[in-house]
Amino acid sequence: MRKQPLCPVTESPDAKQVLALSLLVLATGLPLVRYLHWQINAFLLLLFVVRLFGLRWRMAIPGAWLRVLLTLAGTANCLYANHTLVGQDGGTALFVTMLALKLLELNTRRDLRLTAILTGFLIVIQFLFDQSLPLTIYLGAMAVGAVALLVDLNGGLGDARLRSTLRVAVSLSLQALPLTLALFVLFPRLTTPLWSLGLDSEQGTLGMSDSMEPGAISELVVNGELAFRVRFDSTPPHSDQLYWRGPVLWEMDGRRWSPGSVTLPADGADNPKLEQFANPIAYEIVLEPTHKTWLFALDMPVTAPDDASINRDFQLLSRQPVNSAKRYRVRSALDYRTAEPSASLRQQALQLPDNITPRMRGLVADWRSHADSDWALVQQGLAFFNRESFHYTLLPPKLGKNPADEFLFETRSGFCEHYASSFALLMRIAGIPARIVLGYLGAETNRIGGYQMVWQSDAHAWVEVLIAGRGWVRVDPTAAVDPSRIDNRSATRLLGAASPVRFSLDQASAVSQFVRSLRLLADTLDATWQNWVLDFSAADQFALLDRLGLGDFEYGLAVLMVLAVSLTLSVILLALMRDRSTPEPLDALYARFCQRLAAAGLPRRETEGSSDFGHRVMRQRPDLTAAVSRFLALYLPARFGSHPRPATIRLLALQLLGFHPKSAKRNA
Amino acid sequence: MKPISLNQISPPNRSLPDTILDSARAVILGKDRELRLALACLLARGHLLIEDLPGVGKTTLAHLLARLLGLDYARIQFTSDLLPADVIGVSVYDRAAESFRFHPGPIFSQLVLADEINRATPKAQSALLEAMEERQVTVEGETRPLPEPFFVIGTQNPLFQVGTFPLPESQLDRFLMRIRLGYPDAEQEKRLLAGEDRRIMVARQAPALTNAQLLTLQQQVTEIHAAHPIIDYVHAILQFTRSSDRFVYGLSPRAGLGILRAAKAWALLADRNYVLPEDVQAVLPACAVHRLVGGEAGQRIGEDEIATFILKHVPLSV
Repeated sequence: MRKQPLCPVTESPDAKQVLALSLLVLATGLPLVRYLHWQINAFLLLLFVVRLFGLRWRMAIPGAWLRVLLTLAGTANCLYANHTLVGQDGGTALFVTMLALKLLELNTRRDLRLTAILTGFLIVIQFLFDQSLPLTIYLGAMAVGAVALLVDLNGGLGDARLRSTLRVAVSLSLQALPLTLALFVLFPRLTTPLWSLGLDSEQGTLGMSDSMEPGAISELVVNGELAFRVRFDSTPPHSDQLYWRGPVLWEMDGRRWSPGSVTLPADGADNPKLEQFANPIAYEIVLEPTHKTWLFALDMPVTAPDDASINRDFQLLSRQPVNSAKRYRVRSALDYRTAEPSASLRQQALQLPDNITPRMRGLVADWRSHADSDWALVQQGLAFFNRESFHYTLLPPKLGKNPADEFLFETRSGFCEHYASSFALLMRIAGIPARIVLGYLGAETNRIGGYQMVWQSDAHAWVEVLIAGRGWVRVDPTAAVDPSRIDNRSATRLLGAASPVRFSLDQASAVSQFVRSLRLLADTLDATWQNWVLDFSAADQFALLDRLGLGDFEYGLAVLMVLAVSLTLSVILLALMRDRSTPEPLDALYARFCQRLAAAGLPRRETEGSSDFGHRVMRQRPDLTAAVSRFLALYLPARFGSHPRPATIRLLALQLLGFHPKSAKRNA
Repeated sequence: MKPISLNQISPPNRSLPDTILDSARAVILGKDRELRLALACLLARGHLLIEDLPGVGKTTLAHLLARLLGLDYARIQFTSDLLPADVIGVSVYDRAAESFRFHPGPIFSQLVLADEINRATPKAQSALLEAMEERQVTVEGETRPLPEPFFVIGTQNPLFQVGTFPLPESQLDRFLMRIRLGYPDAEQEKRLLAGEDRRIMVARQAPALTNAQLLTLQQQVTEIHAAHPIIDYVHAILQFTRSSDRFVYGLSPRAGLGILRAAKAWALLADRNYVLPEDVQAVLPACAVHRLVGGEAGQRIGEDEIATFILKHVPLSV
């Protein structure tokens, strides 16, 4: 097949190829539509419609001048939509527009070839936006399609077009795979990006913010995205201990909690100090991109990964914003006692906004009268949430200027942020230092993948109070709400008697069980992809070099890559050179046929053709006539005919399996 | 796989070339292989040279082919005083029209029998041979195409006979095949002696083909598939004749093309639409030997052994 001379390439493309190319570009670009401005998409749609009409009526294709105008209009459209022509969004919009315009200028085969090659660029661009496994598979298929189109455009394979062209394209792509893998493993990764493509813009990612006001977390709860995955080295802790610590909020302005402007004291007195009462547990987290420096860890982290630190609030912070999925290992102490903070911090944790109402002070005074210690007062507060008719709902009523007061005494239904916020305020009124911690609560076990998944919908807020002699103690007022008052409309479930409520889908029915396992399976695949492909970093490369004993060598990676590439190229070259002497399957089968006959005392003469040889064998050994003529009937047309069918090779191979002629003497 | 559509022009089960061969076999006895080669040569659009002693049926064969293929036929008896104009034709002044008028010579026929071609002088020979290659003649500045199809069957006596001008290699190259008839074997010769006059038998033959059918067959020959191993094999043969020290010079690319074309015609006669190595081997003696004769170095090998010599030294793996 490969030795066939290429057909003369006529210059005018045929309509089928133009249609195939247009559909290929459309299918390849389709996933990108999610990220493009609607104006760009509208313009692209217009161009495609013109292109498709142009297949039927050539008049519909605009002439050169109109194309110039369309090009200008397309550029202006890109400028108007993105205010720039460079960067990730601007550049992509401009490229896609120009590619679609090129579809209106397919006058020669060269144009078609060029556009098919540009489709490869269109594929690569999309990985700036999305690197997920399904998209990779989809775009891989598109790449094979582009190769098939190029095969066809470069002469093609004659009559049996589609199937054999696709087969050639797949085999070409598979042949490229070893080199791709070598480059994937060895191509130097940059630890920091050299150029800014605006990749760190927070487009489309909804994540936790560093402040809290009513409604902030309930927005997250309806977000179905994954926050991070966890793999514990040993048995995971009980679910009511899975408080994943995030930002800590100190300052309340009456409505909104924020981290506050507390500066780190210079004397180091407030560096995190922790007393552990049990062995810390170790685990690994793969955090989805947040574009923040926060790393989540279980209360309380004791060791930080290399490129992160633990701050005064026991929050784990990365040095670089997490713009792509990040994998890190942490150890946390579940049973701990923090050191006493300095007086100034203590003061910070007692600050009150100016909208504290007498009702609130009255409530606290009432508790104080019944409590003999700070801890007893905390218990009073929790008992209050449990006793009074507080409802837990995803759809809390709107609150006015004084949300804490309104929530405590009027609406009495809300979400974790309402509980945490008002509880922390009440504690401060009582003179107990309190602060808010944002993070996630709980985890979903993925039995298929053997890890835990934490979703954005697991977002949570809780309170830490400073108790003399015990340090900062975690208190979750949401957990105190009576389970009977949980809003059924939101379809809730309980994690356990002492656990706070969480919202999630009803998981009782068989269908939802099935959907759930599918989701778990999908997530497992995704995690594997993340683990083995996306996370492959410079660090992994150096680890690989170390294992190969090249770790100290400065240019080890580059040398290895050059070696791998030249090795691959020489293998290809050798294969190409060997090709002339490598028997084709048919030749190999014929050689085997001759070997079998030679073993039976009927060697082929060196200059004897297969037909002559076969007939001589049949004359000398009439008992072999049937087998030999059956072989020749298949072999001759396949070897010398114009369109050998691959099925023939299988048939011949099958025939030869049963072809073991005995030598004449033994026979006689 | 595209089958050759012979059925539309012949009765089923018997291909058109086979019916021609059957008729020919009835007239020329015991020369099946030579008849087949001659027919293959004509189907491959090649010219045929028949070399043998007088009286073995060269002229009869040429005449018979002309009859069976339905071609109009002219015979030129080459003698030492033959002039080019006798072959091509001559312009004569027409007094009534007050202009020269061209009287076409015998070459303006579909099948020209050039009898005893090596008896004429080189000048007359070359007039014919140029026409063979170009399929047109130029007389007094005017180019006239020859009819289509156009075949030349040349006959020549063995070179050791007195009064012959041997054809130069360059001109021998223009004949696709050279065959020898030889004496018939005893049984066939007795049948020949007992049978009726061959000339009458030839005259009685009805054409088996129309010109259109002949052109279709010629077209089908070009459509026969020669797979890569066949091309490789023919090329190996050419290479061998060029590198072997037995020959001063090897076979030309034109010879290679001719061998392949003849092998395709041979495959067509076997009712196959692809060429086998055996087809090449079958036509090689007729196609190659006359182009190599005389170009041998060192010890001479007999003409008959040349083809065997080549085939024995070019290995075949398919």
